Amino acid sequence: MMTLSLEDKKAIQLDRMRYTKNTFSSRMVYLAILFDVFYFVSIYESDVGNWYYTWLIGISIVYNLVFMLVAFLASEGVKNYKISYGYMLCGLGIGQLVRIFILPMMANSAMTKRVIDKKTVEVPVMETPQFVWVVACLVLSAVCCLAAGAVAVTRSRKLAAYNASLLEKA
Amino acid sequence: MANISLQHLDKIYDNKVQAVFDFNLEVKDGEFIVLVGPSGCGKSTTLRMVAGLEDISAGKLLLDGEDITTAPAKDRDMAMVFQNYALYGHMTVYENMAFSLTLRKEDPHVIHKKVLAAAEILGLTDQLNKKPKQLSGGQRQRVAMGRAIVRNPKVFLFDEPLSNLDAKLRGATRREILLLHKRMNATMLYVTHDQTEALTLADRIVCMSMGHVQQVGTPLELYDTPANLFVASFIGLPPMNFFHVQVGEGEVVGSFFKQKLTAEQQSLLAAYKGKEIVLGVRPEDIETGGDIDVQVFSNENLGMSTLVHGRLQGSNTQEAQITCKLRGWCDYKPGDHVNVQFKKCHFFDKDTTNAIR
Repeated sequence: MMTLSLEDKKAIQLDRMRYTKNTFSSRMVYLAILFDVFYFVSIYESDVGNWYYTWLIGISIVYNLVFMLVAFLASEGVKNYKISYGYMLCGLGIGQLVRIFILPMMANSAMTKRVIDKKTVEVPVMETPQFVWVVACLVLSAVCCLAAGAVAVTRSRKLAAYNASLLEKA
Repeated sequence: MANISLQHLDKIYDNKVQAVFDFNLEVKDGEFIVLVGPSGCGKSTTLRMVAGLEDISAGKLLLDGEDITTAPAKDRDMAMVFQNYALYGHMTVYENMAFSLTLRKEDPHVIHKKVLAAAEILGLTDQLNKKPKQLSGGQRQRVAMGRAIVRNPKVFLFDEPLSNLDAKLRGATRREILLLHKRMNATMLYVTHDQTEALTLADRIVCMSMGHVQQVGTPLELYDTPANLFVASFIGLPPMNFFHVQVGEGEVVGSFFKQKLTAEQQSLLAAYKGKEIVLGVRPEDIETGGDIDVQVFSNENLGMSTLVHGRLQGSNTQEAQITCKLRGWCDYKPGDHVNVQFKKCHFFDKDTTNAIR
């Protein structure tokens, strides 16, 4: 059984990156896409008449598609230690956080009339349990993107520096 | 340490066809054993029985004294290299080599060290990020070997690993396998139908035919003192010439030639006086001069030597055809006559086909 010191392991970890892919980042991106899917299939759940039918919902749908496409492309990029895709993922993560303040917040603060027990009452378009769920989905998606991006940037930088040192030695 | 003992191994398939008959072999630690024979002789079946990929119908298989006859392949601590490489096309060379260790959940750092060490041995360090389809046949076979090396098994098994390679690459990869064996000093069992591979690689050769072991010995023993007609005809390129001859007084007499016997040969053939035996002569043991008249019907110049195909003067039968490997560049034309003599003869019993010793 081969035993390695901590220093050895650190050095090997760096060298391993030359031959192994950044699967951590790419898997985190897949998770981010999954949470985004949960978000957009959950957001229209409440029965609110035509509140959602504005230009904003069109943008939201298009953004979902763009997000998934770009995130998927970035997952392949970060897998191969492309630093630009790491930055792109950080941007996507921030975007997911910003989205909390658009549709979910607006739908949570807007009121709509609903008939309950033959009485008409005013309720939020998006009630609290659904609001918490969609916000959680966006936060988790954002965290995954940011983690994937941060790890990708760090690893890509380390690998680039290591490769440069190897070239120098050669 | 990796001594293998194959004791009375039989292989009988479900359809009652017996592929291997009473196979016995003791393989010493660090030995390079080559199983050689024509297609269908049971050599691959024997190797697969050792690997655990085929059930053993009868007999015992011991590894370092431990009975592994019924042990599953994964518990045998043996690594096998296949003819078709068996690499994963979607993985890189690095991932292919690391795969078996990853499955065993070994520390990734240790795996990395082992893969790099194996790649260094095999000259694959620059290819580690490539996919198999980007490699040549020889490189792919080296990856397959690398995958075996990283496991550090007790025994390496090779099943015709060079058969898919072209002639030049086969020679180069053969030398690499030889170097690998010297470097690792591991026990290796190697199956091939190519006698050149057998003669150049083996410490000992096991020559097989129809599921039976014909002879076990060093390459020189098999070449110089073949046990029977099969081994004599299989080992050596071009193959040995055979003639039916009658043992006479101080000579053997064929239909179209006579061959004088030395005193030693006379005593060897004393019991066969007056009987018919088979005389074998290797093409390279024939030289010009002497009184055996050969009528040439084709001439192949190989540079250092010339292969002369012909028939003994006066004969018109298949049996009296002869191939001579003569030194130097010869320009015989069909119909030309050459006088030759036999430098070294082998004698075989006509009925048992065994060598007369």
